[in-house]
Amino acid sequence: MADDPRRRRPFGFEEDLGVAVTEDAPAVEAAPLSTPATPTEWIRQNLFSSWFNTILTLVAGAFLLFVLYSLINFTFVSADWAVVQRFMKAYMAGPFPIEEVWRIWVCFYAVALLAGLSLGSSRWRPRVTTRTVLVTAVSSGAASAIVLYTVRTALVLSLTAGIVIVAAAGTVVGRALGNRLRKPLLAAWFLLFPIMLVVVRAFDGVAPRFWGGLFFNLIAATVGIVASFPIGLLLALGRKSSLPAVRIVCVVIIEVFRGVPLIAWLIFSRFVVDLFLPPQMEVPNIIKAFIAMTMFSSAYVAEIVRGGLQGVDPGQLEAGRALGLSPLRLTALIVMPQALRSTIPPMIGHFISLFKDTSLFSAIAVTELLSAARRSSASLEFFGLDAETLLFAALIFWVIAFSMSRWSQRLEHRLGVGER
Amino acid sequence: MSSIATQHAARPPLWRDVRVLRIVGQVLFITIIVFVAREMYLNATFAIEARGRSLTYDYLQNRSGFGIKESILNYSANQPFYRAFLVAATNAMMVAFVGIILATILGLIVGIARLSTNWLVRKIAQVYVEIIRNVPALVQIVFWYTAVILAIPRIQNSVSIFDIAFVSNRGAAIPAVRGGVDFSVWWALVAGGLVAAWFVWRRRTRIHEATGEPSYRWLWSGGVLVGIGTIGYIVLGDAFFFEVPDLGERRYTGGIQMSPEFAGILLGLTVYTAAFIGEIVRGSILAVSKGQKEAAQALGLKPGQQLRLVVLPQALRTAVPSVTNQYLNLWKNTSLAFVIGFPELINVSTTMINQGGHELENFSLVVGTYLGVSLAISVVMNVFNRLVALRGGR
Repeated sequence: MADDPRRRRPFGFEEDLGVAVTEDAPAVEAAPLSTPATPTEWIRQNLFSSWFNTILTLVAGAFLLFVLYSLINFTFVSADWAVVQRFMKAYMAGPFPIEEVWRIWVCFYAVALLAGLSLGSSRWRPRVTTRTVLVTAVSSGAASAIVLYTVRTALVLSLTAGIVIVAAAGTVVGRALGNRLRKPLLAAWFLLFPIMLVVVRAFDGVAPRFWGGLFFNLIAATVGIVASFPIGLLLALGRKSSLPAVRIVCVVIIEVFRGVPLIAWLIFSRFVVDLFLPPQMEVPNIIKAFIAMTMFSSAYVAEIVRGGLQGVDPGQLEAGRALGLSPLRLTALIVMPQALRSTIPPMIGHFISLFKDTSLFSAIAVTELLSAARRSSASLEFFGLDAETLLFAALIFWVIAFSMSRWSQRLEHRLGVGER
Repeated sequence: MSSIATQHAARPPLWRDVRVLRIVGQVLFITIIVFVAREMYLNATFAIEARGRSLTYDYLQNRSGFGIKESILNYSANQPFYRAFLVAATNAMMVAFVGIILATILGLIVGIARLSTNWLVRKIAQVYVEIIRNVPALVQIVFWYTAVILAIPRIQNSVSIFDIAFVSNRGAAIPAVRGGVDFSVWWALVAGGLVAAWFVWRRRTRIHEATGEPSYRWLWSGGVLVGIGTIGYIVLGDAFFFEVPDLGERRYTGGIQMSPEFAGILLGLTVYTAAFIGEIVRGSILAVSKGQKEAAQALGLKPGQQLRLVVLPQALRTAVPSVTNQYLNLWKNTSLAFVIGFPELINVSTTMINQGGHELENFSLVVGTYLGVSLAISVVMNVFNRLVALRGGR
């Protein structure tokens, strides 16, 4: 919608539709925009309205053709995608033992079911326009084509299809049950992560050092968000505290954790996290890295929550005080519910960037998606196919991050943040 | 009298007096923090002493014993550890400095292109932003480095540009300007030329304002500067010369060389950060009141002038704080070069730890450097922000 050319013409390179203002003409207010009637008219206005625009169109068109040609030529002619077929399991699960992979499938099915139920019970209806239908058709077609081409066993293929079916079934059931599902669903979402950890670890499960692939990226990002939320909340409250000592300490903690890159925290976590722990306590390196990431992330969460706190109307505070609420209850009952509501979209944004940042775990020898891709193109059989493997990894990262950011935009719209 | 007495009695007891509680609370908080810090320190010294070492920075004076692939400062394995760290810091800062300049230029172009009236340009910019922002920076850097730069021709068949510049998977080499005998004298002349050009600029502006004649300020001042520089070069005779790189068997010699690692991190960070800066530029341009553009149109400014003289200066004000954040991110992201083996802070630090231990001391140096440079960037940008901000307490 934001791309309606008529709403988007403030700063072009050519003159806006020249409206002749003669002496007797009334002051022109909001010059009527001629809606392009025919395709040729549209093309003339949007691509060839002036000589400068024509040059731009030609240069951009040539560039576009070059990029498209290279991309298509690479994808369908010169690339050797056998490496992706061969290493699909490594991309998805890393060194996760193959006989235990069912645990990951259980997790994915649980997420799909919950997502479907939530979507259904929210009574979300897709807007049916030519554009949305086209986009849905093309993207699901491309996704199925990629899955059909890269997944080589019938079992995995049917399991993947099962995820889609479960999600669709969840949507139908959710729509039927509607609002009655609200509370159970909320509880289920909160319990989902602990349950997933149990599914992965319980009954002779799989230790964190065997986690890998995309599964690791998702788990690590979730750990980072879930664990850093309470710490970030406390830091944000501390930063807003009226006690100078508390405030200064919190500001220092936040700025130090934010000011040093995550990769430094991950690499030095082996040495630094020991400081926080009692001596002689043996902790696996990967857990230390998780702790370091949590601290890094909590500094960002603190800033997000601080933004939410600042958005709370001071009148609300005064009203609470007038009611005689103690500072603690004021914070818990009046401030936090309002502040946290407006932090939902930026928290999703933070989750996306944390998800992208989990690729940094490749620097500490975790076989997450990026390092799985790098290793597959360093294998003897497929040596040098870096473009294929890295582009495939980038595609997976992109699909997840992009769809989540779209979802967050819609949520922001629905919550009406900033419009209350 | 009695009323005062009751007032006294009505004062809350100490344990309910907010003023007392505040102080007690802070003292308690500080005590806890100090206790935790002390515990951490004891933990650290205990662990270090258990390994027969001690917490000290003296080791920085020792011979490092390892080489660094590329450095701006002079460096060899015989020099002390602190020199190695300094080399790493300058390398990282070099990446950040060049990256910030390039990302700003590209980001500005992307931001303006996002709002172009040309549909094709607008769509290309949008797709660029949507792709780049949603793929991890590290994936992009590794991609540029391994799949693009290392895939271009080997050094034996370098791509040569008129035999003065070369590109291959061993990096790029371009001619360098090297100072001759009177190089400093020539620089002094150029400095004088700058002053002269400034006076000419002012004079032309004044004439333009007084008479309305075209000022041609750029032509005049530029001409003065170039003229003085050329005359100086001729009079002094070879104040500087161009050193053309030599195509060797395995590496380039002479000229300015750019390693593939440097090119990879620079390309990756520029492309990545520019997408974010582009969105900031777009948002700031949209935030400029529409009346400003219309007023500029009414004054008869050309579209380019409208953008350059009216819209962008105002958009700049909104953009500076967010762009500062992106600069800070770019500086921190130079650490990603570690993964492709560029000798920046993390890379050199891990080597230093392998050579001489002292993990915690090293870590404190890394933390200090990142925070220090971040602080410097913030200070510079704050000064800049104050320069462009509206005056008059608005």
